[in-house]
Order: sequence, then C-alpha cells, then structure tokens
Amino acid sequence: MTELYLGLALILLLTIAIGLVRILRGPTATDRMLAAQLFGTTAVAILLLLGQAAGNSAIWDVALIFALLTAVAAVTFVRRKDIDSTTETEEHDGTD
Amino acid sequence: MAPQTSLWLRFTLRLGGCLFLWWVLTGGRPSSWIIGVPTIALALWVMNSAPQNPALNISFVGLIQFIPYFLLQSVRGGIDVAHRACSISLPLDPRIIDFPLNLPAGRAQIFFLNSVSLLPGTLSADLVGKTLKVHVLDHKVDPRLHQLEFQVARLFNCPLRGGDD
Amino acid sequence: MALTDLITAFLLLGSLGFFLAGTLGLLRFPDLYCRLHALTKADNLGLGLVVLALMIQSDSWQVVIRLLLIWLLVLVAGATVAHLIARKAQQDGHQPWRR
Repeated sequence: MTELYLGLALILLLTIAIGLVRILRGPTATDRMLAAQLFGTTAVAILLLLGQAAGNSAIWDVALIFALLTAVAAVTFVRRKDIDSTTETEEHDGTD
Repeated sequence: MAPQTSLWLRFTLRLGGCLFLWWVLTGGRPSSWIIGVPTIALALWVMNSAPQNPALNISFVGLIQFIPYFLLQSVRGGIDVAHRACSISLPLDPRIIDFPLNLPAGRAQIFFLNSVSLLPGTLSADLVGKTLKVHVLDHKVDPRLHQLEFQVARLFNCPLRGGDD
Repeated sequence: MALTDLITAFLLLGSLGFFLAGTLGLLRFPDLYCRLHALTKADNLGLGLVVLALMIQSDSWQVVIRLLLIWLLVLVAGATVAHLIARKAQQDGHQPWRR
C-alpha cells in the first residue's frame, strides 16, 4: 500500500505543477490566486498520503495547518484587493 | 431556561468541545496537556470576549436528514463539474441568476451560502440585500435551491418567509 | 485485509480522477467563476475520497475523527473562500463569460 500512497502523492504533485500554468496565463491577479487555492486543497491530500505512508501522524498536523493557512492567504488576498484595487492594471478579457 | 443557566450550559459545552478537540488532535498523549490546558483557557477567553451569538438551535432530525442529502449533492456536484471539464465540447452556458432568500439573516443564511457553492453547478457569488446572486454553469439546468433552502431551514429550526424582515 | 486494501485503492484512484478534473477545469474553463466551480467542487470531492480511503485503513476512531475534521475544515474554508473571491470579482465588475 505504501507504494500506492507515494505514487498518488507524486501524481498529485504533478497536477499542482500543471495547475501552475494558470499563474502564467492569468489574466488577472485573482485568476492567479486560484492556482494557490488549488495548491491548498491538493497539498492537504498529498500531506495526508505522505503521513499515512510514513506512519507519522505529525505530517497530518502539517496538513491541518496548511488548510488553515490557505484560507487565511485567500482572505488576505481579497482584503488586499479591497485596499489597492485601483492599482490593478490588468484587463480581464474573459476568454483565452 | 433562565439566562444564567443557559450561560453555564454554553460554557460547559464549549469547554467540553475544546477538551475533546485537543484530545483528538494530539492523540491523547498526556504530555500534550502542558500546552493544551493554557491553549484551551485562552480559546475559551477569546470565545467569551467575542460578540455573543444567540444560542445554536440545531435540529437533530434535520441534521440526520441533511448529512446524506449534502453528501449526495456534493458527489453529484463533483461528478458534474469533472464531466464538464473533461468533455471536448466544454458544455458550459453560464449565467448569474438572482435567488430571493427566504432564510432569516444569520447562521442559517451563511450556512446556505456556503452549501450553494458545493452543490452541482451553482456558486454563491454575491449577497445584495435579500437577493443572492448565484453563478450557474448551465442556466438550462434547474439548480433546485429551494430544496436546499428547505433542508437548511429544517436543520436550523428557523422559519422560511418570503422577504419580510 | 485484502478487501479493505482493494476499497482503499479504488477510492484513491477515484480521488485522482477528481483532482485531475479540477486541474483540467482550472486550465480549460473560460472565466474566473467557472474555474472556481472546478476548484471548489472537484478538489473537495477528491480530498473527501482520500480522507475516506485513509479512514478505512485506520484502526482507531480518534484517527477517523481527525481525518473528518481536516476534511470539514478544508470544505468550509474552500466554500467561504470561493464565495469571497466570486463576490470580489462581482464588485470589481467582472462580467461572466457567455457562450
């Protein structure tokens, strides 16, 4: 089973890497933030799998912290945009 | 119930909840209580200092019926969006639709807002007064939000009314 | 033992499908709102299946509750964050993509 957990964790890491393309494409800062959101949920899954494979439940605590931090990061992002939304220069063209 | 009694009940429930949570998270290791006891004391103090909400009034029967409904709908939601993402033709016809809320403001409404985003094809986008703006992936599909609203009202023991208050 | 392992493997494969679909949606969907749909629904279901798979493998109910708490936290946080981002986009005047 350990091979299965590690293999899946590796593939999930790959999906994050593919998701990073969204950061390159944008077009707005909010679209880029979505990649971070994807990273949050997927990273929790990866850490849970790694913890199970290693038999070390401390890694699950890291997963818990990760879930918390992703939420805080996103809320901070939305609040920051409240403050300096006037500095956003990118145009959202809706298609790509 | 007298206000004094309900305050004590609330405190006891919070203390019990914190103790249980800490015990689960640390796997019940005795040494962890060295950090646990001050942390729980701090958490209770913060909860007490925060503005007090009216006591939670969750219906047990409502909860028993809501959990399977919610799980089934979120599985359907996941399959629906996965299917759309994997189809070559990208079957999307999104719109923003208005949904007049019948739930009273407060916990039930917030719970409803969050549940909408996990249901098939719907995403709660904005709340303007008593109207919820919902982004739907396909406007030809009935999002069945009234059904969810009914479930949430039963869960929180609150009345559904058409726009007064 | 073999049966629980089989179910776990099955659930994990299912979760992989949803994570892949979530990433695919993030890349293929035409606008911010649609991408939010893909992330909140597909990824949360993917994580739910991982949690379920690990629950089946665990031998103590403490571990089961712990996994459940992690999933609930991600679920609530994900739905809240999706709403906040969509609301911000609405108020910034992002028009949803139309076919």
